[in-house]
Amino acid sequence: MLMHRPDDHASPAAPDGFRPTASVLIWSGCVALLLCAFLVSLLSGPFPVSLADASSAITHLLSSSEPANNAQWVVAELRLPRALLAALIGAGLGVAGCITQGVFRNPLADPGLIGVSGGAALAAVSVIVLSGFLPLSALTGPVLLPLAAFAGALAVTWIIYRLGTRQGHTQVALMLLAGIAVNVVVGAATGLLTFVADDDQLRDLVFWSMGSLAHGSWPELLALLLFILLPVLLVMRSARLLNALMLGEAVAGHLGFDVQRQRRWLLAAAAMMAGAAVAVAGVIGFIGLVVPHVLRLLSGPDHRILLPLSALTGASLLLLADTLCRVIIAPAELPVGLMMALTGGPVFILLLVRQSRRWL
Amino acid sequence: MSLVLSDITLRAGDQRLLDQVGLTTRPGSRVAVLGPNGAGKSSLLSCIAGERVYQGRITAAGEDTGAWSPAQRARRMAVMPQSLQVTFPVRVWEVVAMGRYPWGDEDSTRQWQQAAMLESDVWHLRDRDYQSLSGGEQQRVQLARVLVQLWQQRQEGGDGCYLLLDECTSSLDPAHQHAVLASARCFAASGVTVLAVMHDTALAASWADHVVLMKQGRIVREGEASLLCDAEVLEQTFDLPPALAGRYACQNGVWLPGPADKA
Repeated sequence: MLMHRPDDHASPAAPDGFRPTASVLIWSGCVALLLCAFLVSLLSGPFPVSLADASSAITHLLSSSEPANNAQWVVAELRLPRALLAALIGAGLGVAGCITQGVFRNPLADPGLIGVSGGAALAAVSVIVLSGFLPLSALTGPVLLPLAAFAGALAVTWIIYRLGTRQGHTQVALMLLAGIAVNVVVGAATGLLTFVADDDQLRDLVFWSMGSLAHGSWPELLALLLFILLPVLLVMRSARLLNALMLGEAVAGHLGFDVQRQRRWLLAAAAMMAGAAVAVAGVIGFIGLVVPHVLRLLSGPDHRILLPLSALTGASLLLLADTLCRVIIAPAELPVGLMMALTGGPVFILLLVRQSRRWL
Repeated sequence: MSLVLSDITLRAGDQRLLDQVGLTTRPGSRVAVLGPNGAGKSSLLSCIAGERVYQGRITAAGEDTGAWSPAQRARRMAVMPQSLQVTFPVRVWEVVAMGRYPWGDEDSTRQWQQAAMLESDVWHLRDRDYQSLSGGEQQRVQLARVLVQLWQQRQEGGDGCYLLLDECTSSLDPAHQHAVLASARCFAASGVTVLAVMHDTALAASWADHVVLMKQGRIVREGEASLLCDAEVLEQTFDLPPALAGRYACQNGVWLPGPADKA
């Protein structure tokens, strides 16, 4: 039996009974999953690549020398950048979902569902199509697209935030309906733009609507380091605020957080990650919805653990899904966004049913 | 250090939730704020807690509390809200640990957290999902979180610190009501000023050393707890029929701490 000594001045050590749910097992499981997913994605595909080829391709790349054979070239120029892209985008989407769910205090607040990704897609599509008419073509590329997508995502986030939040309380139904409206507008606008688009642009538009990592190469990757990896690392510092927000906006304020300011900047970071992901890979839904939700069931809602695990698991999930999409109908490939929608849709319905008993 | 409220006015649209409220509290005092529904009790607390934008001035030892940063405020003021909705399945000990966020030492003060949980009688619930608890149990968990926020002040002297409790006993059984107020009394004894919004006049009579009676956004009477034994005061404040006011006054008299309690 533990002794109860409230006025104990001795150094407060941890007594029994504070068992964190996230065990070493979950951590190592997530890291192992990511490593495996990465390896599998490097080795699978229509062109056979051995483990030795993959590792020497990476050493060649690091020493910036030419790849020695075709297999190494495939790894260095195609699979490795694509795998890194998938990992970064998956991590960004997982963390962005974790943040929007935490800030809106609702497990259904996924960037894809509330229209944030849609806003980003609309902005990016506009840039692609309109750059043909405006003297912008020199600017389009790995930086302008993410910036435009970020702006689109930010605009939608702001609208949703203003619409759905009254005095710190999020009205879920309103927020989701607003998201539907945004998604409809995005679809219609993309439809309109297809009329004015030429053949090349049409191909791009289709790719936006389905989501794919096929356009991954090193320049995109560098842009994503700035637009995804940086915010992912920065938001880790806000884990405590997201924890405190579980008790409500007022309580987070009582616990010493500048809620309004930090919440705005967290949403901006989420919009940046979701926007950059859309700019490079089109709309890939449900990672932001499913990953934090499943992790919360496994390891509890503590964001100090949830945020990094969402990054790891989001990366693994998209890597595996993308690998599957490349292999399943090789040499053609399935858009990974379709695959995520097919698996994510049912999960979303399951979530809705569970939620309906409590909130909607 | 005294907390001084001068001319606090809080508006919501055309309505005045608080109308030129003035109040001075001594350090270490136990202040009960009472009044009918909609009298502005919770609004008053939220102004002190810095949640609302008000007109007027609130000072602590001459310092304008409106100028405190959220982080500064959280190290001097712990607030227990009337009700709150938790969104995700968080466990009891995790909720209590958040009470140490203002200090950033939630991992190294487990012993204090344990003591606070024992004092609020929720230690046996520490591994439970907060959402699965009853209303009263949830209230006790929140109390433990609030208490642990000022735990070292209670040990080292809490002058200049404030504990704001908004109907913190509303869902509790009688034994827990008095136990909770006994904890609050401990904090006050160390110099922490405790301000509690209450509905139960008998409970207030048994605990407070200063009562503030509010009605329609104004303070109508304030003074010692014996004020609650005055039938006329109760009648006016709560719009009670005279017969009921008399009974309540009588009952509250029984609850006033006698000479034996004070010893």
